[in-house]
Amino acid sequence: MSIIQKLKNTIRSRSIHVCYVNVGSCNGCDIEILACLSPRYDIEQYGIYVHNNPREADVLLITGAFSPQWEDKLKPLWEKIPHPKVAVAIGNCPISGCVFNRPETLVDPPVSKHIPIAAEIPGCPPRPTEIISTILSLAPLIFKDYEEKKQ
Amino acid sequence: MKKTVDISLPVGPVHPLFKEPCRIKCETRGEYVLSAEVELGYVKKGIERIMRGRPWQEVMFLAERVCGICSVIHNYTFIEAVEKISGIIPPERAAYLRVIVNELDRMQSHLLANYSYCYTIEHETLAMYVLNLRETVMDQLELITGARVTCAYIIPGGVRWDLPDDRAESLKSALDHIDSELTRFVRIFETGPFIALRSKGIGILTKEAAEAAYAVGPTARASGISVDCRSDHPTYQALGFSPVVRHEGDNYARIMARFDEVFQSVNLIRSALLKMQPGPVRGGGVIQAGSIQYRMEAPRGELLYDLVTDEYGRILEIAIQTPSIMNIQVCAHEMLTDAESAADITSIFISSDPCIACTER
Amino acid sequence: MTSIIWYIREFLRPAWISRFLTAKTEPLVTPPYFRDFPVTTENECTQCLACMMICPAPEAIIVVKREGVWRPEITKGHCIRCGLCVEACPEDVLASGRILATKKEEKLLLSGTYHISINPKTCMGCGNCSVVCPVNREIDPSLRSSGTSRSNEVIMRVDTGQNKILHEEKCTGCKTCEEHCPNNAIRVARVVEATEGGKL
Repeated sequence: MSIIQKLKNTIRSRSIHVCYVNVGSCNGCDIEILACLSPRYDIEQYGIYVHNNPREADVLLITGAFSPQWEDKLKPLWEKIPHPKVAVAIGNCPISGCVFNRPETLVDPPVSKHIPIAAEIPGCPPRPTEIISTILSLAPLIFKDYEEKKQ
Repeated sequence: MKKTVDISLPVGPVHPLFKEPCRIKCETRGEYVLSAEVELGYVKKGIERIMRGRPWQEVMFLAERVCGICSVIHNYTFIEAVEKISGIIPPERAAYLRVIVNELDRMQSHLLANYSYCYTIEHETLAMYVLNLRETVMDQLELITGARVTCAYIIPGGVRWDLPDDRAESLKSALDHIDSELTRFVRIFETGPFIALRSKGIGILTKEAAEAAYAVGPTARASGISVDCRSDHPTYQALGFSPVVRHEGDNYARIMARFDEVFQSVNLIRSALLKMQPGPVRGGGVIQAGSIQYRMEAPRGELLYDLVTDEYGRILEIAIQTPSIMNIQVCAHEMLTDAESAADITSIFISSDPCIACTER
Repeated sequence: MTSIIWYIREFLRPAWISRFLTAKTEPLVTPPYFRDFPVTTENECTQCLACMMICPAPEAIIVVKREGVWRPEITKGHCIRCGLCVEACPEDVLASGRILATKKEEKLLLSGTYHISINPKTCMGCGNCSVVCPVNREIDPSLRSSGTSRSNEVIMRVDTGQNKILHEEKCTGCKTCEEHCPNNAIRVARVVEATEGGKL
């Protein structure tokens, strides 16, 4: 392993930039992501920064059951994120559509039809601790030795 | 009249400061905002279509998921509406427990709104203080109902379970903590010179404009309109409720009105805990046929459920009117027009506490 | 000047640096009263399907036979952790957070009755509902594919081109008929009442 790769691993493990996008959720999961920012949970101590800007993000958190307006918007947004990148589905909605997945609904779950989803956090909504532990356990799997794995 | 427009500035749908997707299209001349239009439709799920033909035990959860921030009030309004149809009167203890949970939910919603505002004007210290205080409220909600956000506590004929004395004691001590901490934070907000620069005199909504555009909730109450549906609710009347009104009508007044309502909620919960007598919390009763229009006060303003049920208690027709749609229109047409700086667009928009998920359902 | 030196000395303390670089808050635990995903207890499931009937989320809970015993199974990603199934189960098979203890202590009860309604305008008498109904098949195994039956004990049967309901009280509310109706003509209403203290 080269020294540059080691350096990248060290830095990436302490600097995870997060962007979240609401594709038709009820806000329940969004406020639980927001609660992670509070000093009680304090995700910034683990090096996770919520920027909410896709162009500087590593992790894309997706909430919501995919409403029709996002049909042509989610994929461009996903392509704007630089590599290495990973998408995490927060809550039941992106996984199964939750209670909205009924006849006559407008939503079109699951989100994995549209962009690749690496991890799913079930719950309606999941607790902040569940969100933090998932991101922390997922990040090394994706970002460690990214360049070497690519070759 | 022909306007000279420099640039049509779109803000959103994915914006670092918005929790939810929506797009504000502003026509600007330099920094000066000439007019603004809010474009919605990014989170439309069709909840009212799904609700049709379903019994209360399913519609209750759908109603809760109209809005995740103020989920208790949707549950509360829907259940009280179907109770009114079928003539079910909940036990007295259950009525007070509903008020306690509803006011806790209102507190966390207002604190979240004020967190967003402080974050938007880049006063991150106060924002984090307020957000951490909100966790105390969430802990109490979880202690009483068993869940943080979607509580599902209120059911026809009462509530899910009782509040034993030890949990009531922990609730009381949490209220004292909130009271003392929030007094400190409100003083920071009142006396902060930089907060005043970003808040006082920005985004003014006059009383006439608010009346003409039917503004509701804290947005209307900050402009001097004394309107609050809780004044008509029997349980709140028994607790001696009177609305909080401020007269400035700017960003500062809206945030302060919310802080004042948090104090008011603390006092309402305290008096409800004092008035509560031991007794049953579930009275039973099945839902019957009928139709009703029922209003309650959500954290953002007046919430209306208009529904028709059939003889087995299934929902035949339902229409929900949420408060945010009024406030978003008021914000776009009255407050954002003639804003001095493009930087104030987001802070004015956030100060009206828009909830896009409510608006579109 | 002295304050700058004080700050530099303060920030160069090893204790401060180690606290700055490592996580500071204590590991966060889920409180025991949190309503988590329901888990099964030791009690035996009697396959009354009360949990499936009350569940507000689609496909969240299903009662299946595994190794010869019926057990309710929760699908994560569908379950919304409302806890209604724990309250509705008459045998206390499911447990979640504090709900089971509270239910026993306060004698909470969710009881349901089922009503079938058929829209005569859209019902075309195909008999799908009568054939798929699991209770019907148990009562009259010789039920014809057209939905007609000689037995008077079945829940419903096709008679003179229309589906007729005979014994509504035998319905278990499984909604299999709703799923198989081509015209959405048949609807099962689940009327649930929430009571306390064992009184009905």
